[in-house]
Amino acid sequence: MSLLGIILTFSLVDNVVLSRLLGVCPCVGGPGGMRVTVSTSAATALLMSLSALAGWALQTFILAPLDLEFLRTPAFVLSVACIAGLLEVAARRMVPQLLRVAGVPLVGIAFNCATLGVVLIAVKGGFNALQSLVVGLAAGAGFFIALSLLTAIRERLEVEKVPSWLRGLPLHLISAGLLAYAFMAFDRAFLSRLFGGW
Amino acid sequence: MLVVSPAPHVGGLSSTRRLNWSVACCLLPAAAWGVFLFGVPALSVLGVALGASLAAELLAALAWRRVTLADGSAAVTGLLVGMLMPPGVPLYVPAVASAFAIIIVKQSFGGLGRNWMNPALGGVVFALFSWANAMNSWLPARGVAAGTGVLPPLNALRAALTGAKSAHRGALAVLGASSYPWSAADGRVVAWINTHILSLAGWSLPGGVFDMLVGNIPGRIGDVSVPLLFLGAAYLLGRRVIRWQVPVTYLVTFCVAAQIFGGLPMGCGWGTGGALFQLFSGSLVLGAFFMATDPVTSPLTGTGKLLYGMCLGVLSFFLRYFGSGGDGVPLAIVLGNCVVPVIDRFAQPRVGSPGKAAAG
Amino acid sequence: MTRPSGFIRNNPVAAVLIGLCPAAAVTGRVIDALWMSLGLVFVLVLTRVSEAILRGLNKAPSGQRPSRPEPLRHTQSSQSLTAGWLGRLFLASCFTASFEVILQAFAPDESASLGIYVSLIAINCIVLDRVSEQRALGAPKATGTEILRALQDSIAVGAGFAVSLMVISLVREVLGAGTITLFPVGSFGGTVVVGNVSLEPARALIYTGGGFLCLGYLAGVARLLGHVRRREREQSRPEAGPV
Repeated sequence: MSLLGIILTFSLVDNVVLSRLLGVCPCVGGPGGMRVTVSTSAATALLMSLSALAGWALQTFILAPLDLEFLRTPAFVLSVACIAGLLEVAARRMVPQLLRVAGVPLVGIAFNCATLGVVLIAVKGGFNALQSLVVGLAAGAGFFIALSLLTAIRERLEVEKVPSWLRGLPLHLISAGLLAYAFMAFDRAFLSRLFGGW
Repeated sequence: MLVVSPAPHVGGLSSTRRLNWSVACCLLPAAAWGVFLFGVPALSVLGVALGASLAAELLAALAWRRVTLADGSAAVTGLLVGMLMPPGVPLYVPAVASAFAIIIVKQSFGGLGRNWMNPALGGVVFALFSWANAMNSWLPARGVAAGTGVLPPLNALRAALTGAKSAHRGALAVLGASSYPWSAADGRVVAWINTHILSLAGWSLPGGVFDMLVGNIPGRIGDVSVPLLFLGAAYLLGRRVIRWQVPVTYLVTFCVAAQIFGGLPMGCGWGTGGALFQLFSGSLVLGAFFMATDPVTSPLTGTGKLLYGMCLGVLSFFLRYFGSGGDGVPLAIVLGNCVVPVIDRFAQPRVGSPGKAAAG
Repeated sequence: MTRPSGFIRNNPVAAVLIGLCPAAAVTGRVIDALWMSLGLVFVLVLTRVSEAILRGLNKAPSGQRPSRPEPLRHTQSSQSLTAGWLGRLFLASCFTASFEVILQAFAPDESASLGIYVSLIAINCIVLDRVSEQRALGAPKATGTEILRALQDSIAVGAGFAVSLMVISLVREVLGAGTITLFPVGSFGGTVVVGNVSLEPARALIYTGGGFLCLGYLAGVARLLGHVRRREREQSRPEAGPV
């Protein structure tokens, strides 16, 4: 798959949130407006791409040659945690103000189902190093798209008088569902027609 | 004055009622034409869609303890759902689509004015993905023998061009070459015009012009009445029930894109896209004037509306030419709905923190 | 507070609002939901119990500290990656890996169909853990009690999770595919076909959007039931003082 194809596939067609149902937790549960959204997605995208690269390295150099495939989950979990920790240290040194957006540690949020999911998807897809990096970035971009759309919807719902039993999380999930249906307009056939003609 | 809560909020209930019932009335001629062309199946589909939406609204009345049928929005939703259905579709499809539209897309969010997705479109998109086969089965036009593989011109065009670039220029020429079954009436009218009027100037119209203009083609119930929809829209625009920004930008963007780039997949080159053919195919006009203009699900500010119209135009272009559904309009508008809260958020001038100000 | 809470109040999917990710993704078929719940209970029980054992072995200074009630989702930045959290994650991932192996051995088709979501059980457990830590107030008791309590708690939470997943998967599969897929037993092929719906099911429910919708409504219904229950309890206690 070409790099552009990868980018479009993992950000639109196979959107991490809207197609794979990963990374839902920060999307629907958390407070915070657009600024938090942007910083969370940026952190998540960075984490995803670096973790995907690390996952590729682990798979290629350690797990596959030594026939340790069954240790994939602990290995990836540990690598993601390490990278998250390193990112946090780096952020604290270089951009301390980013670390405390709305009082929530960025890296803690960035480490969710989505990151590990993306690593697994990238490894299962058999991509090479550069492609894995791009997969992570594209997934992060898709995460950003979904998160910002849902945040805007959430802000709009906050001022509305909605049924009390559906207020908050239930409606956010229902909105995500409607959004997911809308995004099904972008499917693989669409991409292949876009690039390959009719 | 900054309005923070979404529409409709101007004028209160009476203007909402006026808006909705005007829209419903302007849809009726087009719906009636669809019934005339397709007969009893179309009538039953429309009736079921309308009935289901009214019933669902009544059901919601139990929860809200307030009957809201009089505001007309359920009627409009039901009519729109019906008009977006193919006429031969099994009746449970419009029923479920209408119920989904009212209960899940509208009432779950609090009822009129609080949903962010157009209810009719939400229901239709659900039906599109649930019963894809049923939603893509068509009845033949009046005066055309019922054969197998009936397709609307838009779908037939794509089928004719798949895999092989055509030697002909223009959509109608391609369709004519692949022997698309236009009606006998069309044949007679076009032949008459060609012989008596246009032959003087040396032009000739391809077959199918009459059918496309009049709407005597297979398609959804609301697709086939484009001239009547234009009339209804003109009335609504004239009475300022709907605003011009969204539909005009939408149609202009789409037609420009279609004309310039649309010929490329056909191998005809630039600037030969046949925007007029595209305009009269599919739910473009229905969507542009009656669904994209929904004040609840379109942006608040004028700039926002222009931007929204352009987005819709671009999305419709891509989804119609490259998407999987033949007519990209329902999905395009639904995607546009998803983007509207973002447009609103950035098009709003800042007064304190957006989203937290008291509801207007 | 030491009794494990009931399904609805402690229901991780509906009431607790976290740990949603794998849930709806694998509820396209009933059997997928069953295996996921099995996996989660397996990993959850083993993780909690081993953690209780380890804490018991580690009794002295760190064990005397009264457990700090961590806020639900926000942890202090420096503590978010301390050994406690990370250690639990590592434990959970190891048990998840073993469940993956078991699944691969006993039901390879299922393993293929669940895909990456089995591996995500580890994260799920962690998220659930962080939530139920709030309820584990009070000084840690004797190791035996701790272990028993961990066992009870994790089974209750896992059961709540399982029930939620089953409900969602039943709705999605019956309405969306017209079947109920279960374990093949003897002559029973494993798939129950539900009459009329299976002729033309609403396939949109099988897609991700359907999962989100079911999840959302389940959360809403659980809250509604919670309201009803609270109202019943208030009504049955007429002499309740000012709250």
